[in-house]
Amino acid sequence: MDDEKIIELYWARRENAISETKRKYGRYCYSIAYRILKNKEDAEECENDTYLDVWNEIPPNKPQLFSSFLGMITRRISLDRFRKHYAAKRGGGETALSLHELEECITVGKSLDEEIEERMLAKAISDFLRALSETEAAVFILRYWHFHSVTELARIFAFSESKVKMMLKRTREKLRFYLESEGFLI
Amino acid sequence: MRAEPLQNAIGMIDADLVERSEKTMKKKKRMKFTAVIAAVLVCAVGIGIFFGNQSPFVLSLHAISSAEYPKMEKYPAGIYLFNRNAWISDQKKQHAYFGAGEGLDGFICATASEILSGDGTENRVYSPMSIYMALAMLAEVSDGNTRAQILHLLGTENMEALRVQANAVWNANYNDDGAVTSILANSLWLDSELPYNKDTLELLAENYFASSYQGKMGSDSMNRALRAWLSEQTGNNLKKQTEKISFDPQTVLGLASTLYFRAKWSDEFSKSKTEKEIFHGTNGDVTVPFMKKAIRNGRYYWGEKFSASSCHLEGSGRMIWILPDENISPEMLLQDEEALRFISSAGNAQGAWENKKDLKVNLSVPKFDVSFQTDLCENLKNLGVTDCFSDVLADFSPLWKESAETDPLAVGEMQHGTRVTIDEEGVTGMSYTVIEIGATSAAPPDDEVDFTVDRPFLFVITGEDGSVLFIGVVNRL
Repeated sequence: MDDEKIIELYWARRENAISETKRKYGRYCYSIAYRILKNKEDAEECENDTYLDVWNEIPPNKPQLFSSFLGMITRRISLDRFRKHYAAKRGGGETALSLHELEECITVGKSLDEEIEERMLAKAISDFLRALSETEAAVFILRYWHFHSVTELARIFAFSESKVKMMLKRTREKLRFYLESEGFLI
Repeated sequence: MRAEPLQNAIGMIDADLVERSEKTMKKKKRMKFTAVIAAVLVCAVGIGIFFGNQSPFVLSLHAISSAEYPKMEKYPAGIYLFNRNAWISDQKKQHAYFGAGEGLDGFICATASEILSGDGTENRVYSPMSIYMALAMLAEVSDGNTRAQILHLLGTENMEALRVQANAVWNANYNDDGAVTSILANSLWLDSELPYNKDTLELLAENYFASSYQGKMGSDSMNRALRAWLSEQTGNNLKKQTEKISFDPQTVLGLASTLYFRAKWSDEFSKSKTEKEIFHGTNGDVTVPFMKKAIRNGRYYWGEKFSASSCHLEGSGRMIWILPDENISPEMLLQDEEALRFISSAGNAQGAWENKKDLKVNLSVPKFDVSFQTDLCENLKNLGVTDCFSDVLADFSPLWKESAETDPLAVGEMQHGTRVTIDEEGVTGMSYTVIEIGATSAAPPDDEVDFTVDRPFLFVITGEDGSVLFIGVVNRL
C-alpha cells in the first residue's frame, strides 16, 4: 500500500493503519531498534511502541517521508530505553560507543548551550550535512543516526575500516568547528 | 552525558537526509542474486560432456552442504552395450517423476510473453525451467509476502507443494546417461560472515539439489569459483557470457541455477543436404545454412496465426519450430492467447491439440546459435514479484539463524543468460525438395507439407517428460 494511503488510514482513524504500517515498515523499524538495543524482545517492544506513537502523532501530523518519520520515532523510543536500562549496565555497544565519539564534537571546556532547542541544533546539523559530499554525509548518518558499526560501514562502502574511522573523525572535527562558529558551543 | 543532546538532535535531522543516506546504502549494499545461466546444445552427434556437481574450483571454497545427484547407468551403446537392464532400471526411476511440470502453464505463458517480447529486432531466448528453479529456491529462503508473491507467480499454493513439485521437476529433467545430458544444477554462494541457517541450506540440498558454498564475497577466489561452476555446469558453452560475472564485496548471497541440455536428433539431419539459403530476418536478407530432411510421419500443427512442426530428440523431448503467418511477427504471437497456449503446452498437451495432422513434412530450418542475456528484475516486478527487490519489504528470514542481526537485504540483480545452438553434424542424408510455403494458418494438404523456416520464428525445446526447457525468438541470423 502507498504511504499516502496508509497515512489516510491514520487520519480516518482506521485500525488497519497499524497493520499496514507493520507489514510495510515492520522490519525497518525493528532493525533500527535492534541496532540500538541489541536485544530481540526490547527491539520488538520498541517497534510496537512506535506504532502507538505514530497513531498518536497522525493526525495532526502528515509526514512527507513516512519511512523517515517512523524511523525517527523508533530511534527516539529505542534510545530512551537504552539510556534507561542499558547504558549504565552494559556501558558498551555501538550506541554507547557512538555517543562517546560524538563527545569529540564538543570542544574541551565547552558545552552545548542548554538553552538552545534540539530542533534548532538539528536544523544546523542538517545544513552542515548538506555541505558534505554524499558519501561523507551518508557515512556520518549511518553511523550516528542508524548506529551501524565501523565494520559494517566498511563493508557497505567497500572501504577499509581505517578509512571509515578517518572519514568519521574528520567529519566530527568539521562539525565541532561548525557548531562553535554557529554559536552552539559556549 | 554532554553529547546526548547532540545525539538527540542528529535523530531529528531533515528526513530527506536520512532517506538519502538509506538510498546510498541500498545502492552499495544490495544483495546480488545471480539467478540463472542456461544453455542448450542440441547436436546431431556427439557424446555429452559430463560434469559432476562439484568442480575442483568450488571445492577450494568451504562447502557447507552438497547435493547428491542420482547415479545413472550409461546408455547401452559401445562399451556400455551390456548395460541395458541397469540403464532401463535407472531411466524408469526418473520416469516416475514425469508430468511434474504440468501446472506450470500459467508461469510459462506469463514469462514467455514478458521476457521474449522485445523490440522485434533482436533474438531472445530463455529457460522457463531454469528460472522456475531459481525462483523456487528464492521462495525457500524468503518468507511472508515476499514468498507469497513468488508462489503466486509459480502457480503453487504453498511451500510443501512447491518442494514436491520442484524436486519432481528436477528429477524428471535429470538425465546423464551419455546419450542425453540434461542437468538442472543449483547452488548458493554465501558470504563468509553470513550467520546462515543450516536447516534451510539442507532443505535446499534435499529438495532442489543445491550445493552451498561459503567464501569471501568479492575475492578473486570466490569469483573464479563462481565462473568455473557456471561454465562447467553449462558444458563450457557459456564461457564468454560468464567471464564477466562476479560478486562484489557488498553481496551477501548469490543463487545460481543452470540448465545444461544436450541431445541428439532421433532422426539426424544430413550434412550433405544442408544448403545455403536466404533467411528474411529483421536485419534484412541473409544467406545462412539450412538443414533439411523429410519426415515421413511428421506432425504438423496450426493455429489462427501460426503453423508449427517438430523433431524428436533421442531419449528426450522435442524441438518445435513455430512459424508465424505472413504479416505476423513472433512478438505478435507472444501476445496471442492461442499461440501462448500452444507454447506453454508444447510438451504435454499437443496430443490434445486439435489442429494437427500427421503427414510427410519436408523440413527446412536454419542452423543457428543464439544467445541472450538480461537482468530479470524488471520483468519479475512486472509479473508481480516486487517485495524481494525492496530492502524495506523483503523478508529473507529463513536464511538466518534466529539470533542473527542482519541488515535489510534485497535482490539486487537477477542475471539470466541463455544460449541455444542447433546443427546437424555427422548425419547421412536423404534427398528432398524444399518448396516455400505461403500462408500457413489453413489446414495443410492431404499428405505432404513443406515447412520452411525462412523468416523470424519462435522455437520451444522440451524435455523427455514434456517440460518446456527453452523458448526463443529468432528474428535475425
